[in-house]
Order: sequence, then C-alpha cells, then structure tokens
Amino acid sequence: MKHELLNGLSSAEVEQVLELGTRLIVPSGTSLFRLGDSADRLFLTERGRIRLTLPMHVRDREEDIFVEESSPGQTVGWSALIPPYRFTLTATAALHEAEVIALPREALRAYFAVNPEAGYKIALNLAVVIGHRLQLFQTIWLREMQRTLEARSV
Amino acid sequence: MEMFLMGLCMSVFGFGIAAAAFGAATRSKSPNSAVQPELPLVKAVAPARFFSDHVAAPPAVPLTVSPRQVPIEVLLLQIENHVRMEQAAAEVFIAFPTQARLHSKTASPFVN
Repeated sequence: MKHELLNGLSSAEVEQVLELGTRLIVPSGTSLFRLGDSADRLFLTERGRIRLTLPMHVRDREEDIFVEESSPGQTVGWSALIPPYRFTLTATAALHEAEVIALPREALRAYFAVNPEAGYKIALNLAVVIGHRLQLFQTIWLREMQRTLEARSV
Repeated sequence: MEMFLMGLCMSVFGFGIAAAAFGAATRSKSPNSAVQPELPLVKAVAPARFFSDHVAAPPAVPLTVSPRQVPIEVLLLQIENHVRMEQAAAEVFIAFPTQARLHSKTASPFVN
C-alpha cells in the first residue's frame, strides 16, 4: 500500500512511521471520529472507504451530508496536525468495514524531531492534501456563487 | 338607356340603404344588446376569480412532483450525487484550469 502522506520517504522511513501507528478495523456505518471531537490521531486508509460528512438540516431533521470519500492510500483527519486540533468533519466507514492506521500526533512529533528530513517530506505531503481540499472547495464554492447570481438575475 | 341605368343604380343604392337600416334596427332590438355593456365587466372579473380560487385550492392532480414529496432517502441520495458531480467538475477544473471548466454544467437535478 502506497500512502499519499508518505510519498518520497525511503522504505525504512515508511516502516518507521507505520510502526508509530495502530491498525484499526472500522465496522460499516461506525464513526471513526465525529465533528468537534478532539483530533489527536491522523489516519491512513488501508482498506475500504471512509465517508466524510457534515451535518445539514433537511426537512427539519439533522442529516449527515456526504462531503468527500477517502480511498485506500489517502489520509483522513489531518486536523490532528493543525491547530486547534478539532475534527471539522465526521468520518464513517462506508458500505463495508474499513481498515485504517491511526498515527498519534505526539508520536509523529517526536519522530519528526529526531528525523527532520522525513518530517519535512511528510509536512509537504500534508500540504498537498490540504491544498487539494482547499482548491476543491473553493472551486465548488465559486460554482455555487455563480449559480446563485444567475438565479437572482432571472 | 341612360335613364334605365340611372334607375337601376338608384334602386341598388336604395336597396343597400334599406338593408343597412334593417340590420341596424334588428341589432338594436336584440335581447343581448341590453346586457352587452356588462359583458366586458363580467368577463374581466370571471377569469381573475377563476385563477384566484384555483391558486388557493390544491390541484386535484399535481402536474409536477415537488421536492417535498420525494422520500428523504431519495433526496439525500440526490444531494450525494450532486456533491459527487460537483467534486468531479471541480477536479477537472483543478487539473486543467480554464474559465469554461470552472463553470461547466453537470447533470445534477439541483442545478437544472
């Protein structure tokens, strides 16, 4: 399994980072974390898919609305490395159970302190993940704004 | 000959005047003539009442299915499909950014 967060690391470094984590099985429909929870672990998706959702009022009910899906190799829960360390989405295993590697923030920090070069590469990879999310949502936001303007001008 | 033609013309002219007078006389004597001034008023009021009554009352057979009538599971699925389509469109824009791709249309029922 090739993880986007570990791109550019040597196989020895990859092994060292993965040893910091714990493998978790997330049964289908079970939450890995919920919106607002304290974020002290980052997750690498190994198997299955993790649905990321946000709450929305639909017909006077609060529903978790699909926002994004994490596939094997992708990273979930980068809020664990970004202040204020609170999850801003809810993550749930999709139709089938999922397997993730949970990497504690403190263990990663300690590793980065000893291996700054590996830490730098991981930080760059994390920037790619966060930057992509930013680009995606700014594009979606602008598309919605355009449609709102067009609807108002009719 | 000239006298004959003149007489013929006068006869035709006189017949025409008589016919016009007869027509005018019969129109003025029609039973509808007394109601006619009110007809436009009745016609103007009737459609407005017709529409106002029918707007207030629910139609017997709905012509279109409103979003409210869609089961919530279907609605949530539509929202998810919309998000997926928007993400796919955004991914295309990010990979090859152009103004056309930024505002490309999707088949989502929420925007069509």
